Amino acid sequence: MKLGMSPGLFDRLVHLFRVVNRVPDPVLKKLGAILMALNVLPSDLASAAGALLAPQSREAGVVFLKMLSKWIVEAHSAAREGKKVILVPFNFPPELIHAFDKAVPLTSEVLTTMGVAILKGQGERYWDIAMGLGLPDHLCSANTIELGSMLGREDFQPDAIISSAPGGCDVNSKIHEFASHYLDIPQFFLQKPPDDSGRGREQYSVYMRTLISQLEEFIGEKLTEDKLRGVIEKANRCTELYFDIWDFHKAAPNPVPNIFALFMYGTRFSMWGREEGVKTFEAMVKVAKERLAQKAYPAEKELARCVWCYTSYYYDFMGLFNWMEDQGYSHLGDGLDLYFPQIIDTSTMDSMIEGLAESAWNMPMTRQVGGESMSRSWTEDVVFVARELNADCVIYCGHHSCKQTWSVISILRKELMNQLGLPLLILQGDSWIKKMTPISVIQQEIDEFIKNVVARKTTKKRELRKRKKIKSDLQ
Amino acid sequence: MDEIIKQTGVVENDHVKKWKDDGGRVIGYVCVATPTEVIDAAGLMPYRIRALGNSNTEIADAHMSRFNCNFCRSCLQLGLDGIYDFLDGMIETNGCDHLRGMVENWNYVKKFDFLHYIKVPHIVDEDSLKYYEEELRLYKKAIEKHFNLAITDEEIWSQIRRHERIRDKLRTIYEMREKDEPAFTGAEVLSIFLLATAVPAGVLEGLLDRVIEERKDNKIEGYKARLLLGGSATDEVDFVEEIEGIGGLVVTDALCYGSRAFWPHIGDKKESDPFKAMAKTYLEKLLCPRMFNDFPSRRDFLFSAIERAKVEGVVLIHNKFCDVHGVDNVLLRIALENKGIPVLQLEKEYGAAADIGRMKTRVQAFLERISDSR
Repeated sequence: MKLGMSPGLFDRLVHLFRVVNRVPDPVLKKLGAILMALNVLPSDLASAAGALLAPQSREAGVVFLKMLSKWIVEAHSAAREGKKVILVPFNFPPELIHAFDKAVPLTSEVLTTMGVAILKGQGERYWDIAMGLGLPDHLCSANTIELGSMLGREDFQPDAIISSAPGGCDVNSKIHEFASHYLDIPQFFLQKPPDDSGRGREQYSVYMRTLISQLEEFIGEKLTEDKLRGVIEKANRCTELYFDIWDFHKAAPNPVPNIFALFMYGTRFSMWGREEGVKTFEAMVKVAKERLAQKAYPAEKELARCVWCYTSYYYDFMGLFNWMEDQGYSHLGDGLDLYFPQIIDTSTMDSMIEGLAESAWNMPMTRQVGGESMSRSWTEDVVFVARELNADCVIYCGHHSCKQTWSVISILRKELMNQLGLPLLILQGDSWIKKMTPISVIQQEIDEFIKNVVARKTTKKRELRKRKKIKSDLQ
Repeated sequence: MDEIIKQTGVVENDHVKKWKDDGGRVIGYVCVATPTEVIDAAGLMPYRIRALGNSNTEIADAHMSRFNCNFCRSCLQLGLDGIYDFLDGMIETNGCDHLRGMVENWNYVKKFDFLHYIKVPHIVDEDSLKYYEEELRLYKKAIEKHFNLAITDEEIWSQIRRHERIRDKLRTIYEMREKDEPAFTGAEVLSIFLLATAVPAGVLEGLLDRVIEERKDNKIEGYKARLLLGGSATDEVDFVEEIEGIGGLVVTDALCYGSRAFWPHIGDKKESDPFKAMAKTYLEKLLCPRMFNDFPSRRDFLFSAIERAKVEGVVLIHNKFCDVHGVDNVLLRIALENKGIPVLQLEKEYGAAADIGRMKTRVQAFLERISDSR
């Protein structure tokens, strides 16, 4: 990994998070509130801080920020400590890399999201670098913003890239392949056979074991049973806490702050299997438990319970989560929260590797559109969640690069209506770039959908209007 | 040649009609990772799905979306319109995300009588090869079960040999188009290829022999530059004609509706098991950007075609929203530029007549650039 001051996305995040890392939690809580009250933060940062440190979620927001700062600063220090930085996509279980002493994981989509949420100018300058190379404008900004920063050679470069999107997403796989060739960075693969039979799952284990051997050789370290067990035990604790939050979501009004949807997968994609990840989940559980006990809800009334079936929007500095809550619209999690973790048997090395393969198999996107049928696996999960959490509607963000979800969204819409009678709102907008659709338009569409479709649906059954007989009918 | 062009212009050509009238059954497939030898060995006729530049996608747009590749939407539209009702089944592959969506929607709306999905790995390595080999065995079994027939290894070998002869004849046509005085235009060769994947194999051999004989002394003249056309799924003969109409003769290609589909030879493999031989060829030599660890093979294939056909400029196209070619074309463009080979990268709307003026202007400027650099 190359170090040094640069205008790259990662390096800029490091500067910010280094400060966060040094400030003690209680001070950060108070400082955040004071800075917000005094209105002295730059507007972009204030907007993000407003969302992350909103009163209803501040306790957990601080722990989440500290966790991310530890994750980022650790990666930055890795080279000095003789460790390798491995860039992974969001659908790869980072706990595998955490189990190595000499390697740290960095997740491109988490970096992009944090950059878009916190940095001045968001991620557009890095997106423009990628576009300047001639890359198509229909790529995924979640990857391309961070990779654009690398491609411009303004930023850090990882020592290796793992691509686990083959089988689940062409765009993600392709941009990582591009970066690997363009920057001459070694690439390793964990491909998903789109095969729901036991044969597909067995093959996935073969791929996982091959990947582990390749990583051991590249990192120069054998994965040890003790180290792996330590990580898996913490991952198992995260799993228990994940399901605690899942159960809290069932209560009405929803006691889980909307932004926890983001905190949950932000943790899954970065520090799952680490003490900091456990602490973040514990903090979220604590907040939700207290809110449940107090029956507290930010708005006067919970008007609609919404499941987001793929991603949310992040370009408005995470404000959408809180805006929804202020309107009485609960965000019950999005597609990225649908990784359904399981307790991994830690008795042997083999059982733990098998458990890791199972975790990877169930990561979001891999599990749904990486299934044998893109629509069936996805529909099954969304229908299950909507039914379990008693949702009133489902919202699709319509991120323009998600070609797999776009190609079967009409099937999901029909199945939701057929199986649950639930309406699906299809939005259009890039989740990470504000140029595409202003957030006010997104808010207006959600508002109109809930007021005109969801609310009416819950108040009374629609009756078919009787048509007046006209002359032509009588002839 | 005129007859070929006439037959290429329609989806259900006279050969398909005759095959069906004689009681034959037709299996559709979309992607080059489908070993059609197995379909032929079953006595069925493989038919490669095409859209022939169809630009009306009204119904397909309601099922897929405007963010999906319009080639796939065009094929879906034809499927939903009933143009492909002559098919007795469909072989799906995970060629790309758009293609998968197309087949899923097609099957959701109009259930195929027979649908089998060949899961093709995205990586070339030993683990993947074994898995794909097993996939091909399952593919054979699925056909046997549905159509209630038996496919022997001997019959598959026989079809492999027949396909090798067809590949050789197609290569001969490419040699004829690539020589100093080309015997075919690019549009003609695309027509030949399209028909070659839409007629019974038994008919095809004779057709290819006749066209080779007919064109052996033909010379195409009056063009401004020798071009290679590479990129996305392109079955638009009109598009190639437009390029050639302004002086850019397409003397070779790197298209999946072209050389990438037939260049590899199965007979080169010293295997006694036909499934092992087919798996190695179809996976290791897939030459498609949906393979995520095999860029050097695609780049070398392109360089080799450029050298063979004395190409003066390369046109790399991709249909709007085609991710795999959209990104791969950038890497290829950079590799070509590093070698000093003129290259034009185009993003186009599939089958859109409104887009052709813009395309022609770009190609025209490119031809001038090539001319100036001589």
